[in-house]
Amino acid sequence: MVNYSEFTMLTTKYNQLLLISDQIKKAVEESGIKNGVITVISKHTTTGITVNESLECLESDIESFLSRLIQEDYPYSHARMLKNYGSTAGNATGHIKAHITGNHCHFSILNGLIIKGDAQDVYFCEFDGPAKRTISISIVGE
Amino acid sequence: MFIDMHVHPTFFEPINGDETKEQLRHNALDIHLNGIAPLEHIFNQMHCAKLDKLCLLPHDYTSTGEGVIVSNDEIKTLVDMAPDRFIGFAAVDPFRKDATNELERAFGDLKLKGLKLHPSRQHFYPTDEHLEPLYEICEKYDRPVIFHSGLSWEPHTLSKYARPLEFEELAEKHPKLRICLAHFGWPWVQETSMLMVKYPNVYADTGLLYFDNAKEFFTRIFTQEIPRSWIDRSLRHQVMFGSNNPRFEQIRMAQAIEELGFRESTLELIRSGNAIEFLGGL
Repeated sequence: MVNYSEFTMLTTKYNQLLLISDQIKKAVEESGIKNGVITVISKHTTTGITVNESLECLESDIESFLSRLIQEDYPYSHARMLKNYGSTAGNATGHIKAHITGNHCHFSILNGLIIKGDAQDVYFCEFDGPAKRTISISIVGE
Repeated sequence: MFIDMHVHPTFFEPINGDETKEQLRHNALDIHLNGIAPLEHIFNQMHCAKLDKLCLLPHDYTSTGEGVIVSNDEIKTLVDMAPDRFIGFAAVDPFRKDATNELERAFGDLKLKGLKLHPSRQHFYPTDEHLEPLYEICEKYDRPVIFHSGLSWEPHTLSKYARPLEFEELAEKHPKLRICLAHFGWPWVQETSMLMVKYPNVYADTGLLYFDNAKEFFTRIFTQEIPRSWIDRSLRHQVMFGSNNPRFEQIRMAQAIEELGFRESTLELIRSGNAIEFLGGL
């Protein structure tokens, strides 16, 4: 059995880490699937999905590390007019941060519960906000 | 106070919902893959850009056969939803038979604050005889005009109609009519500067980002092609911040304008002082 769902949210900052563990838990509960796997995927190319410990200090360190690594003030090739959009691309940093973070995560489901460590939470990572973002959830099992 | 004088609300959610119309709008502006924006998102974007108000510009392309892309009534609808954040302009295709009546209605009944015209798209020169009655109505209501100027990315546009030099006769003939050359008339930014230094009724907005990123392009245009001192000393009362969103990047442009080395008093004028003068008050 496969259960697919999506949820959408409006991010409010240029770079933002948003916890989405509760939405994922709810999707598992509503799917009716007791044993299987869940995959959570961002539908965007300037966002990420990552698993880490939900602490304010770590959120700050992750954002700071990515900003140091991928600096805003750099002559990115992507900064140009894109004809298929009809608009200028200035979001190279978002694409590269997304490349590093990855766009998805997986967990096992056992007896209707997501199997994850005590410190693990799921973050949606906004790297080019604010924006309207959609996350897809596929649950495969029985 | 920080005002973006050049925003197209074409894809704002409250005036969308009909997929056929949305596609027409994407094609008319040649803007794609940008999605429909809920007002809450627009307000989030304004917050990130530190903007307090947006000037909303519609499109009337009746004479090109495409019709009214965003109507004056839709602008009025949006302004009524957030009157403290939105300033509404009118658009009237000058070749419409009812052009003067529509502009009178837009100013008189809808209380819109100015007129947006697009010479490149509608293929007229600013001194075309069809325009004179519209200019007279603007003067009667003390409303300014924003002209598209310089390159337009929209389809079927010809830049020759919007070259800054073409606006000199209008500025000379109508010294009380406040006109803005949008996009600073790029690539003819020195021609735009020439008009501005001579005619105090000529303004320009910063809605240009055709190459590189916002900081790189603004640095090139506003500190090299036009020396920084030209704006900071001579044109400081005539430059208004405009992003041309959603074509260009409102947040990065709002930040870039702050980083060009202008005096703080000049930045205050660019952020809002000049816009308030241009509009004849808020």
